[in-house]
Amino acid sequence: MIRRALLLLPALIAAPARAATLEEVMRGLAAVRESRATFTEEKAIPELDLPLPARGTLSWRAPDRLEKHTTEPVEERLTVEGDRLTIERRGNRQELNLDQSPEIRALVEAIRATLAGDLPRLRSFYDTRFSDGPGGWRLVLTPRSLRLSAVVQSIEMLGRGVSILSIETQERGGVTRMLIDPQP
Amino acid sequence: MRRHLPLLSILLLLAAGLVLALRAFPLRGDLAAFLPRSDRAEAGFLLDELRSGAATTLLLAGFEGADTAELARISRAVGDTLRASGRFTLVANGAGAVGDAERDLLFGHRYLLSPIMTPALFEEAALRRQMEGLLDGLRSSAAPLLRQFGFADPTGAFLALARSWLGESRVGLRDGVWFSADGRRALLIARTRATGLDPDGQRDAAETLRRAFAEAQPGQARLLLSGPGIFAAEAAAAIRGDVEMISIASALLIAALLLWRYRSLAVLPVVAVPLLAGTLAGFLAVALAFGQVQGAAFGFGMTMLGVAVDYPILLLTQRRPQEPLSTTAQRIWPTLRLAALAAIIGMAAMLVADFPGLRQLGLFAAAGLLASALVTRHLLPRLAGGIAITARPLPPPALAALAALPRGRPVALVLVGLAALGLIAIGGPPRETDIAALSPVPEASRSLDAALRAELGAPDVGSFVVLRATDAEAALAASERAAAALQPLLESGTLTGLDHPARYLPSAATQQARRAMLPEPEALSARVEAARQGLPFRAAAFDPFLRDAARSRDLAPLTLAELSASTALSARIAPLLAPAGSVWRALLLPAGVTDPAALRAALPPEALLVEVKPEMTRLLDTASLHAAWAAGLGVLLVLALLAMGLRSVRRALRTAAPIGGALLLTLAALALLGERLNLFHLAALLLLAGVGMDYALFMGRLLFRSNDAEEDARVLAAVLNCMLTTLLTFGLLAFCATPVLRSTGLTVALGVVFAFLLAATLVPRRPSKTAA
Repeated sequence: MIRRALLLLPALIAAPARAATLEEVMRGLAAVRESRATFTEEKAIPELDLPLPARGTLSWRAPDRLEKHTTEPVEERLTVEGDRLTIERRGNRQELNLDQSPEIRALVEAIRATLAGDLPRLRSFYDTRFSDGPGGWRLVLTPRSLRLSAVVQSIEMLGRGVSILSIETQERGGVTRMLIDPQP
Repeated sequence: MRRHLPLLSILLLLAAGLVLALRAFPLRGDLAAFLPRSDRAEAGFLLDELRSGAATTLLLAGFEGADTAELARISRAVGDTLRASGRFTLVANGAGAVGDAERDLLFGHRYLLSPIMTPALFEEAALRRQMEGLLDGLRSSAAPLLRQFGFADPTGAFLALARSWLGESRVGLRDGVWFSADGRRALLIARTRATGLDPDGQRDAAETLRRAFAEAQPGQARLLLSGPGIFAAEAAAAIRGDVEMISIASALLIAALLLWRYRSLAVLPVVAVPLLAGTLAGFLAVALAFGQVQGAAFGFGMTMLGVAVDYPILLLTQRRPQEPLSTTAQRIWPTLRLAALAAIIGMAAMLVADFPGLRQLGLFAAAGLLASALVTRHLLPRLAGGIAITARPLPPPALAALAALPRGRPVALVLVGLAALGLIAIGGPPRETDIAALSPVPEASRSLDAALRAELGAPDVGSFVVLRATDAEAALAASERAAAALQPLLESGTLTGLDHPARYLPSAATQQARRAMLPEPEALSARVEAARQGLPFRAAAFDPFLRDAARSRDLAPLTLAELSASTALSARIAPLLAPAGSVWRALLLPAGVTDPAALRAALPPEALLVEVKPEMTRLLDTASLHAAWAAGLGVLLVLALLAMGLRSVRRALRTAAPIGGALLLTLAALALLGERLNLFHLAALLLLAGVGMDYALFMGRLLFRSNDAEEDARVLAAVLNCMLTTLLTFGLLAFCATPVLRSTGLTVALGVVFAFLLAATLVPRRPSKTAA
């Protein structure tokens, strides 16, 4: 709780009276060079009876390295750096050039461009809708291209200050909900 | 000035005529015209491919000179413009390879097309494994991809199909488009709708690409463009450039020589009129007889007509003091006629060659020489009769040196003998076996093409297999049989890859066989239900799969026509499967062939294996052989003509001796210089024989008959002036960018010097003053 309060502090000092704009939030994010967090995730897929749970850690290093390390139920390490996406799972290592799959690049950039505070890049893939309130900010991304909207319908991020606290992705009738707990 | 008016107006008329003719018949630049027909099916196929095959419609483009993002933007913009232009059947730069409509078509036919189809794929055990795999995948980060196809196709039939369609592109992507490995050049391939036989269409396509590049606002970025269509244009431009350069430079030098020797400006138009008349006549003769003019035949024919400059020089120089020019013309005509006829017959021998390039060359030179000789005899005396042009006598030391030459006869004979022995010792002159050396395409363009091809991972095909069948279905079935026969080689690594049309579109029989592997809908539904037990999939999860499998059982096999509706898909199969006249032709492209013999042995008997390099060498050898036969025939005809003209076989042989000696010396000198003989060298040697004939005839015959030292000096001066002008023309050819012209220049420049010296050395000694 104290940690949450401390996180709020800069925002309170910087903008005591009015709500922050998306540009201000992005500027704040751009200033963060490195961050770590733990996550829990629930994937609800309409063809399945039960949601598929997962947990693990996230780490970010500016300008472009993002790692999602799933520890349960099956260990998996997904790394994106530059244009390379690597998935290591069950001793299997797969590499993919983001240029070869525009849909995956768009999914990656939703998170990565936000963490990097790169608004023009984010807006080259998505239309953004932003609001700020006492409980924190809310950023909703909707794909700009038809091809991409067949894969993902919307991505909603909730955050406070320079931290993203949850990501909810609507894809093909399924919902993936990821709760993020920032680590010092 | 008024006296010069008719001469100058004719000159202008001829020049205008030539410009118009060149505009009406643009020069062609394909090399296939310089290869002979062959009875070998392999060679016939190779020639067809060279003339009009799939490779002739390819345009390769590179963009360089800016940063990656900028180059990628340009490549994308150019690609979009080209796709929208409708001039191309394929535009590939890495961006948006296969569209949604194409993907849907393939997806809909996946159970008929997929290479992994087996009945076992639809058994309960297999389905269970597939479902477990799917569930595991859904837990992973790859879930979005798996959900896209996994429930409609748990078997993975479509993913396997997509892999075989997309192949493993070896070209690296940056910013979503193809780049060379070093990242400095963005790459693009386009296939024109216009065939390789349609030079206008090719030019328009290249122009479309250049315009698209300019419209993309390239800034400082540069466009590199290559491909057969570009080659044709560049070859024509290079030859035109060379011809212009040579024309201007040699015109200046020859003008200087003539002004020095004749001290009259009027000599220039007098010499130019027969030359221009010959060029125009040659060009028109070829254009009318063949319907088109090969760039190489034109460039080379032009240089051959440089000989026509000799005719007016012989006329002017041998004019006696106070003699009307028409009298001179009449007097020297028997000898001039014999010399010209001999040269024309030598050239006309090339008309029997069975490849159009050499026939064009022969016709061009023969028609041109005939026109030049006739103009010199009949038109020039009338046009220039009133103009006083007198040749200056040779300086006494030069005359004395030339007169002393016959004393060197033993040295000359020993040299010729040595040349002959040397040529025999090395097993004849070395011959050219690389077709690239014949190409009128500049070296720089060819190396750019090689670089772009290497970067695109599309090196020149080393060998391919051709199959013929009555229709497309039979051709596809034959491809499948041949591919099956080569499968063991792929497994053992003798081949590293095999591309063939049935990989993309299996034959209808194969598609029906795969369709028959699909179980009855009730049976499949029961198996899916059984396989699902204990897994968290909902009951309806695999309904898309059951629906599609049931629908596929009634699906008609995908046809080539349906596939052709999509340009992106047909672009892949069209180069490999196409109608050829009344039959269909399928092409198999093996990669990494290490053992051609094993490949040949494994193929079914109806398949034709074409190995490009050996086949090409064989063709070139045949071409050289044909040219040599033509040259031999020419020599015989010329000797017969001489014997008739001189009314003595012995004198014909004596006249021909210096020419024979000059040919031997030239061949030996070329071998010493490391030149490899191609058929243009042979044609140059024919030209040399024609030129040498002038020298030998005039020196031999006039000197033989005349009793007059002044007349001797005039003849010597005339022949020396001829030799010097020829030397100036051909010496300059050595500076050409076109390889063919360069080596020809060397051959003729060497040859005329030898021919002149030998003619002066071996000239019959003046017998008694009464000899007639």
